[in-house]
Amino acid sequence: MRRGMVIDLEKCIGCRSCAVACKQHNAQPAGSWWNRVVTPGSDRHLTASAPENLYFLPIHCQHCNNAPCVKVCPVGATYQTDDGTVLIDFERCIGCRYCMAACPYGVRQFNWESSRHGIERYEYQNGYTYGYPDSFRLDGRLVYSPVRIKGVVEKCHFCAHYQARGLDPACVRACPGKARHVGDLDDPNSRVSRMIRQMNGFTLLPEKGTRPNVYYLPPKRKEV
Amino acid sequence: MGVSKKVSLTVFGLIMATGALMWLIQLWRGLILTDMNNAYSWGLYVSALAFFVGNAAGGLVLSSMIYLFGVTALKPFARIGALCAFANVAAAMLIVLPDLGRPFRVLNLLLHPQIMSPLVWDVIVLNLYAGLSLIYLYLLMLPDLAARNGFLNKIALPVPDPAGFSDKWARRLAPFSLVAAVGIHVVTAWIFATQGARGWWHTAVMAPDFVAAALASGTAVVMFVAVLCYGTTDKFQSAYRIMAIFIATAFFIHIFLMYNDFVIHAWYGTDHAKEILAITLQEYGLAHAFEVLAPLLGVVLLLNRHVRKTMSGIMAGCLLMIAGIFVHRLLLMPAAFNQMPLTLAPLGSQNTHWSVPIASGRYVPPADTFVSHHSYFPTLVEMLIFAGVLSFVCALILVAVHKLPVVKEG
Amino acid sequence: MGVNRREFIKTSLAAGALTSLDLKFMRFAGSAAASAGPQGETVTRTTCSPNCTGACGFNVHVKDGRIATLIQAADYPDDSYNPRGCLRGLSMMNLVYGKDRVKYPLIRTGPRGSGEFRRASWDEALDYTADKLKKITKKYGSHAIATTVQVPGTGYVHKGAFVRLTGLANWTIHHGYDQNGDLPMFWPMTFGVQTEELESLEWPNAGYTIVLGSNLVQTRLPDVHHLIEAKKTGKVVVVDPDFCSTASKADEWVSIKLDTDAALALGMARVIIDRGLYDTSFLQDFTDMPVLVRKDTGKRLPAKQVKALKNQADAMKIPDYRDLFVVTRDKGLVILDPEHLASTKADLEGTFMVELTDGTTVEAVTVFSLLQEMLAEYSLETVSQITGAPAQTIERIAVEAATRTPLHIVYGASNYQWYHGDLKGRALSLLPVLTGSIGVSGGGISTYAGQYRIRFDVSEWWLPKEGKLNWVPYLHFLNGGGPRYPEKGIKAMIGGWGNPFDQHNMSNALRDRAASGDIEFVATFDFSMTTSCQWSDVVFPATTWYENHELTATILHPYLQLQEPAIAPLFEARTGLALMRGLAKRLNPDWEALFYPDLDDTAASIEIIDLLLKTGGMETEGITLDMVKKGPVRLHSTAPGDRQVPFYEQVHDRVPFPPPSYPAPLPATARFVKSGRIEFYKDEDLFLAEGEQLPVCKPTFEDTEYREDPEARTKYRLRYVTKNSLYRVHSTHSNNVWLNELQGHKPKVFLNPADAAERDIAADDLVEVYNGRGKTRAYAVIDPGCHRGTLIFEQGWWAKYLQDHSYNSLTRAWIKPLHEIYFVPGIWSPTTVWNECLVDARRIIS
Repeated sequence: MRRGMVIDLEKCIGCRSCAVACKQHNAQPAGSWWNRVVTPGSDRHLTASAPENLYFLPIHCQHCNNAPCVKVCPVGATYQTDDGTVLIDFERCIGCRYCMAACPYGVRQFNWESSRHGIERYEYQNGYTYGYPDSFRLDGRLVYSPVRIKGVVEKCHFCAHYQARGLDPACVRACPGKARHVGDLDDPNSRVSRMIRQMNGFTLLPEKGTRPNVYYLPPKRKEV
Repeated sequence: MGVSKKVSLTVFGLIMATGALMWLIQLWRGLILTDMNNAYSWGLYVSALAFFVGNAAGGLVLSSMIYLFGVTALKPFARIGALCAFANVAAAMLIVLPDLGRPFRVLNLLLHPQIMSPLVWDVIVLNLYAGLSLIYLYLLMLPDLAARNGFLNKIALPVPDPAGFSDKWARRLAPFSLVAAVGIHVVTAWIFATQGARGWWHTAVMAPDFVAAALASGTAVVMFVAVLCYGTTDKFQSAYRIMAIFIATAFFIHIFLMYNDFVIHAWYGTDHAKEILAITLQEYGLAHAFEVLAPLLGVVLLLNRHVRKTMSGIMAGCLLMIAGIFVHRLLLMPAAFNQMPLTLAPLGSQNTHWSVPIASGRYVPPADTFVSHHSYFPTLVEMLIFAGVLSFVCALILVAVHKLPVVKEG
Repeated sequence: MGVNRREFIKTSLAAGALTSLDLKFMRFAGSAAASAGPQGETVTRTTCSPNCTGACGFNVHVKDGRIATLIQAADYPDDSYNPRGCLRGLSMMNLVYGKDRVKYPLIRTGPRGSGEFRRASWDEALDYTADKLKKITKKYGSHAIATTVQVPGTGYVHKGAFVRLTGLANWTIHHGYDQNGDLPMFWPMTFGVQTEELESLEWPNAGYTIVLGSNLVQTRLPDVHHLIEAKKTGKVVVVDPDFCSTASKADEWVSIKLDTDAALALGMARVIIDRGLYDTSFLQDFTDMPVLVRKDTGKRLPAKQVKALKNQADAMKIPDYRDLFVVTRDKGLVILDPEHLASTKADLEGTFMVELTDGTTVEAVTVFSLLQEMLAEYSLETVSQITGAPAQTIERIAVEAATRTPLHIVYGASNYQWYHGDLKGRALSLLPVLTGSIGVSGGGISTYAGQYRIRFDVSEWWLPKEGKLNWVPYLHFLNGGGPRYPEKGIKAMIGGWGNPFDQHNMSNALRDRAASGDIEFVATFDFSMTTSCQWSDVVFPATTWYENHELTATILHPYLQLQEPAIAPLFEARTGLALMRGLAKRLNPDWEALFYPDLDDTAASIEIIDLLLKTGGMETEGITLDMVKKGPVRLHSTAPGDRQVPFYEQVHDRVPFPPPSYPAPLPATARFVKSGRIEFYKDEDLFLAEGEQLPVCKPTFEDTEYREDPEARTKYRLRYVTKNSLYRVHSTHSNNVWLNELQGHKPKVFLNPADAAERDIAADDLVEVYNGRGKTRAYAVIDPGCHRGTLIFEQGWWAKYLQDHSYNSLTRAWIKPLHEIYFVPGIWSPTTVWNECLVDARRIIS
């Protein structure tokens, strides 16, 4: 069993709903986004960088098989479950940010200040906070907390808290383009494996040798 | 203790106290008080780690030269060397603490060490090295400790021939300390060099270059303290000459290794390499000029025998070298973090490479949260904490020189 | 408000859905059994309904009385609609709990627009408002008070309450559809309806889709996957001057010059006709193509004028809104029955000599022949010259469209919000009509902007017999005059669900009138402190859609859905119904009696929903409150499976055009297509005078900017297009902190690189956009996809984000006289033409 995700760039309309869903369901404070969607080549999202060249790319933790972040972590706070998901034990992390230097995808986010201060920057009424309200422990290790812990690194955890309830990750459930698919990459007959095989699935930065479990399907070629 | 020493000590103490206070404030508010962000996750503190580790090299280099290669002229400075090594390696470990988001969890390093992490290796070798330097200092001081009264006498090993014992064991430990000295630089370099994500670091030349730069700056630190303690009398001129030549050699090897790397990358000319070089040579061109020219000037000064006869000349030469290497350590970061690892050739584009912006973790409207470049400059908090640790090094050396038989009288 | 039954059903459904996917993925769940949510969390299924009209079902997870998370309910019976929702809905908590939330009723203390208010109680604010309204009524008459009805589909109860009181008090009312410029006037002209569209589930059934001037990828997020799916078996072509995100998803992008879509359509129509690719029987039976037109007068030939047909015509009983026209069959004259669309086998082409009752003989010609004659001017070369698109491309697309039917045209607001936008719609609708793509699954022409179309009969709640609405087009209000403008002017504005001080034409003129005291009273009902609230005398705190009961039914997915409160109203927020009840009570006890005085706000809202369902007519027949409480329920339509396929009944069951447009009575709209068929030939005098009896392409700005100021041609060389942003629903979400963070907190203007270079403007420069009427400011984006000569502004920013220079100070309330020859509110009415605007730009700060 190797948990993986396939993102179909043909279906991705660049709407950033996944990023917003991730933000609110995982209680990310101001300035913190575990999930982002960009327009490759363009400094302005949704704006073509060159005439007739426009596609969109969602990026979050790639849950690498050969994860540099796991290898550099001095205390084993970042670890890989046996299904390949890369998680962070919020109670173990010492906040050295070595993993952030190690990650080629720039997906790791540090809590530079307390949850309260981070959320306060959005100036809500009466101390409002958002997010999945319960902490989540996997085998006793705290891998999600609605209150951000100052001084620790965090990132996409494939919505471990929802998986425990039999639900897909928030980004998958929130994607109006139906561009996101999750499944078992070890099973050659799973939908995700078939999609990767049949539609030229690729990964980001293959040259870094990280072997991600997040695959992308290219936007389709137009007949000309 | 003279007045000037007391004043110095007071100043160092005040700076240390300020640094400690800043750290307390930083603990309370978080690392938001630094200028680091998610895209630029290491700054002055980690540069300072590399800097202090480098400065720690001098002591054991000296001892190994004396005891392995028989350069007896340096013998009077051996204790200073060991002291400087300990002070700097202690500072290196100290400066890491304010860089940690959860410093009180540092115990996790003992409880859950991950042997694959170069950071764990570094913690091990730094501790080993700190221990070795302390033992070395103790061994070297042993003959004088026995002669003293009170506390120092009590801690002196009751051996029949302290001088002989000291010499014998110093000689025996020398190879290990050389390995440990080289080890701290190599392992510290590996923290960076192992990171395939960062093109600026990911080079085999980094470890040897770290050693070379450390030999230069570490020796300069010892020379600087030595000249303060012993002055420039003729008795020490040959030692200064040897050290100057050593510094110069190490520095030129460092320059050779650095530019060797540049040339290789520039020649092949990948976009990554070009961007890295542009950051270092253009954006930070002045800093780069300083890291090369200041030590070069320092070397020129130190190699001049007339200059070596003046205290100020030696001090200036050493400081130029140390400052140059410090800037070299600062330059570890910009080209590593401002060249986004996630740089793509967008599908369908020609000759385009594009860096994917990162959510900085900083929300400061109207500034954009998403950045692909950050002109990092340490905040006052970072600088004061660094200054505090630097003062700790100075104060430690000052107090040790005053209280311990580090400087041989006469 | 506990975990209700629906949530239970939903989770069981989710668990069921899992088995069809990769069960193993849910390893954490052990047995894959869906467990309960967090302790003390409640889940409410409700509907997100801002003015995008998306009306997406959301599950609101609430803990400790506050919204913890929002996620799409994904419970539409047609699974293809799941999950429905977008980033705006997903970040709605930023508005519900945002710093701009209006907490209490406010009464102005400083000068207008100063933003200085004092907190008041509801009673005090209502008393104050009622007192002002009474005084204004006394002084100027009730017509001096104006309300607006905005996007009714997103809330039939509370918006209805505004309309109800407006009618009872006989106030003036503006129809939001023409106010917002979303009214596509070709619809009543051609089809006799307000507007129609395919639901998005039908998009993949199209053989060929052409999207013109509609950036669906940014404006119709939950539906656009259906457009992408339409590429599987069909082809999707995006015609747009700019390479927009929708163009990037198309099979083919065709760039044309701005405002030349009519020429393109006419060129394509000519190709289709020349090559004989049209559907003859469709034209014969369902359109006015065979109808004879007198050559001498240009008017259609009424049967009563024809000697041979007079008696027969006199004997036929037809409603007033119909007319008997003449066609020929086998060279004989035949009356075209407007009430029965039986097979006519009528001649499409030809010229005939017809003897009239007065003994004279006139030459008459079929509409189709006239069309061909007119199309002679639109050769491929000419069209290519006008549009800038290659002739071969136009020809190829025309042939593809005609041979890969059903053809679906998406006619976007960027296309029709022009002075001559109606001509484009008429020209474009030729294509699906010629190809017989009307009334069939996957075919037709659709407009998706604005969406005022009321889905069922609301008159029981909206239009009490005791009341009378005084409809005045908003443009007449702006221009301070017009055929229907009250004699003593409009002196009070009562607004809700709108932000006219930013979002409407000439917003600066509105400010001036408010500042000068010409407008004596402004009351606004909103949940956020918008620019319009800032300019109001009284601000009433509104509930958001997560705090009230409401009934919605909008476009693209034809479902009736409830809003049920997930949280208690924040602070002192109340519903629109509460506001109107409060005013009614103070203005007239008789009116109060018509607002369910015995029930509280909640019970009354539910009662009204029940009433609406029971009296909604065919569309809501058999649908009960209990059914909609369980989840979305599809409205009934005449098409199989209750699909939203416009004119299915007309074509399939041969029922005359038009279907009704609620709430207008059928005669009001049927008179626009007196033949009971799709009409391309308009013979009202003004159409003839303007040379628009058939759709033609007219040059841009000649009747507007250039006429008013001939120097505009050289002074203002950029066309000002105000497009929708991904991050806003018009001006809603303008203050959404996350969405602003995602766009770098800055308003933007998009310029072609050459236009920018000419003005020495670089990316991120602060740019001033100006013309003779006003100015605004934004940061430059150099966009190679932006057509040369166009400046695009992402609309919706509140003035405070534009250094108080509202972007609508540049636009102008042009009125095309043809739009005033009839008046049916929101159907045939002068409509805002945002894009008819010239500007230029200069750099302010690098």
